[in-house]
Amino acid sequence: MSLYADEIIRFSSVLKMSYNLIAGRDELKRKKLREKKHLISVALPFSDLLFGFPNLIPVFPIRMEVFKVSKYLSYLGSASSILGWDNVSKILGYVKNAGIEDVNKVIDEIIEGVIETLNEKYNEMYDIGVERGISSDFCFALKTLVGMHVSKMKNVSATINYSIRCSAWNKYLESLKSIKSDVTQIWLDIPPRNIGNAIELLEDNIRHALTDLEKISGNSYSDNQLREHFKVSNQIRRDYKTIIYEIGASDFYPCNPATFSEILALLSISFQDYNSNAKRYAENIHQMVDEMRERIKKGIGMDVSKYHKIMVTPMFGGWEPKTHEIIYKLGGRALYVDWDVLHFLDDIPISSKSDPVEAYAYFLTNATENGIGCDNNVLTDSYVRVAEKLGVDGIVFNQLFGCHSVSNCYRLLKDKIRKELEIPSISLTFNRIGDNIEQVTTRLGAFMEMFK
Amino acid sequence: MDIPNLLSDFSQFLREKKQSGVKIAAFLAHDNIPEEMMDACGIFPLRMMFGGNEELMNASHDYLPPSTCAFTQSCIGLFANKPSKYRFLELVDYFIVSNHCVSDICGSEIITKYFNIPRLNFYVTYTKNENSEKYFRLELEDFKRQLEDIIKSKLTDDKLYESINKFNKFKQKLLELNSLNLIGSKKLRIIQEAMLFGPSYHKKLTDFIENNRDKQIHQVDTLKNVILTGCSIFISDYLVDLIEDAGGNVVFFDTWIGNHYFSQVFSKEELNSSLSPYDLFVQRYKKNILSDHSVPDFLDNKIAQLVKINNSYKKKTGKNLGVINHIIKFCDHFSMLSSYFKEKLQLDGIKVLNLERDYSGSNRGQLSTRIEAYLEMLE
Repeated sequence: MSLYADEIIRFSSVLKMSYNLIAGRDELKRKKLREKKHLISVALPFSDLLFGFPNLIPVFPIRMEVFKVSKYLSYLGSASSILGWDNVSKILGYVKNAGIEDVNKVIDEIIEGVIETLNEKYNEMYDIGVERGISSDFCFALKTLVGMHVSKMKNVSATINYSIRCSAWNKYLESLKSIKSDVTQIWLDIPPRNIGNAIELLEDNIRHALTDLEKISGNSYSDNQLREHFKVSNQIRRDYKTIIYEIGASDFYPCNPATFSEILALLSISFQDYNSNAKRYAENIHQMVDEMRERIKKGIGMDVSKYHKIMVTPMFGGWEPKTHEIIYKLGGRALYVDWDVLHFLDDIPISSKSDPVEAYAYFLTNATENGIGCDNNVLTDSYVRVAEKLGVDGIVFNQLFGCHSVSNCYRLLKDKIRKELEIPSISLTFNRIGDNIEQVTTRLGAFMEMFK
Repeated sequence: MDIPNLLSDFSQFLREKKQSGVKIAAFLAHDNIPEEMMDACGIFPLRMMFGGNEELMNASHDYLPPSTCAFTQSCIGLFANKPSKYRFLELVDYFIVSNHCVSDICGSEIITKYFNIPRLNFYVTYTKNENSEKYFRLELEDFKRQLEDIIKSKLTDDKLYESINKFNKFKQKLLELNSLNLIGSKKLRIIQEAMLFGPSYHKKLTDFIENNRDKQIHQVDTLKNVILTGCSIFISDYLVDLIEDAGGNVVFFDTWIGNHYFSQVFSKEELNSSLSPYDLFVQRYKKNILSDHSVPDFLDNKIAQLVKINNSYKKKTGKNLGVINHIIKFCDHFSMLSSYFKEKLQLDGIKVLNLERDYSGSNRGQLSTRIEAYLEMLE
């Protein structure tokens, strides 16, 4: 994993995002206890509404956990508050170049720790979920989410529950009250299809959710605040897509391909709650784009034209994090682009709709109609769209054990890949991080052979 | 009637329907499908309610991973393998893709796409509130349009009322059957047959009830009475026999093939009211609080109902009923909350067996052992 250290420390944006992702506990604690703000549990990219209130903080619950390396990151966090993140990054880069061994070790540990500690924590949450009684037949994501809530639901004032096509997801949301019955559950139903006045019904559902949130917040919901947030979140989405399509699809990367995959993985996880602070997240991701472009302009990075572009998907419900490293070693570069496949990176149409609630309803309807909704034909078209846009050479489909939803579209997708894209694809099964690395290595080895 | 004869009769029945110009629309969804609308259009609603086996499940693996609900796997297997007993599935003209659960979506889409069966759509929201009722009406209107496209004429309210009345009478008859104190397997087989054939089975059902009114059992002391909840027992499944072989008896089928279907009747007042047929469907949907499709109160409602049934039984007999929660492997709806379900009912003194299984023959012995051990614990 030290492979990535050299690269990541030169991106202060990456360092900041990593820090905010896994060292967020103290900040969240402060917000809750000192500033009397309400933490609201979210999962999947459904945090936007919460930013319509001054005192509601969305949190992807794993971020409330204590991570092993957060001590080091806390030092960096403290240093950054005095020196600024850019300077911290430069100092780290300088120290690394100077080869000072002890400090080097610390830096490696930090970067390594970001990924490893996250993975360890995910597995720990998985075990807690299973101990709690969730059947082992459910997917990694739901087991870990149950674990996260068993562990930290006591800290949240509410959970925000969007019902989607996945019945296991909806039932998992229903099950949250069995973990802690006094935590408010705020439901937002997305109609399965855009027929008749379904969008108006969704708007009304959103308004009901806002009313429920007002009760928790104690503040009235503000159209202006929500509209302002949507502008910020649209900027995040555009920058995210720039990283995917401008940088990810290019032949020169600002870092090695495994590092780039690592950054995409960090984005995928942190996008769910914007690390609890959308403006800061927007600044970080924008800076990330700038830093990447700057490095490319200066020729710092790596010519990746000979590395085959491999779209690895879906990974948002859990995947083997070694995948991109293995692919890199085999001459490929792994791209994680789930949120765009599911249309969560489309703009909230705030410029064409003056009412932010209406705009959000259109956004959710679009994601349902064209992405995560009830039609595998449409969903697989979206996979093909993204693969074409990226010009990928192959697709690795991550078939999540126990996933009865997105993972089940592989047969249809495989047929389309063969007919429409004429590129190879392979499916990998995934159950728990680290469980199946040998098989993953073997299968990816055989797959990557096809490009030689 | 034994299973081969039942399927053979049903095959004949469907062929006759076909010959008389009736179209057939099949569906996997366990709930909320307005079958009366199809009937009013002269389309026969065919429920996929057939149990599976290893061979059928394996046949589905070309399309879906093995970690898919065993029932969905078997349904796909029926279309892929076309076993001779189920040849009548070749007569299916349309398949309804619905979202009872995500396996319903995926399985139904596969059946329509890979077995070239034209698709009809009918989706239902997960959350229950006023807006979901309004959305349900939108789906009804859309479904009406789809059906009218098939029959190339308008579906009139009069026709629809006629079908609503027909199905209502049929369900009331099933409720009457349900109130008889018959051995569970006997009752289940009639319920299965009736639900398969639909209202045209009304006369046979009436005859059966009349012929069996005097043959009710009074063996409460020797049989361990249980409620079967969770997933349905489908046609050709042996589970009810295993329960009886172990000394148990299912007194209440709290499942889709069972009370959940026939308890959704309209009252006389509703039928005589000024409600349009679509208002009636929305009303039924609204009252359907025990649908496993719904969130967030489904399980609490179910638990409340089971406690009520048990209390009434206990008042009569002084004993608690047992509850067998039948979970077909990889069923999202009944598996996710099974621990909570058991915990809650046990607080009320009701012993619960969470019985998870797929359709492989090899686990029959293990199922027997678990059921026997469970029944031994009951009073």
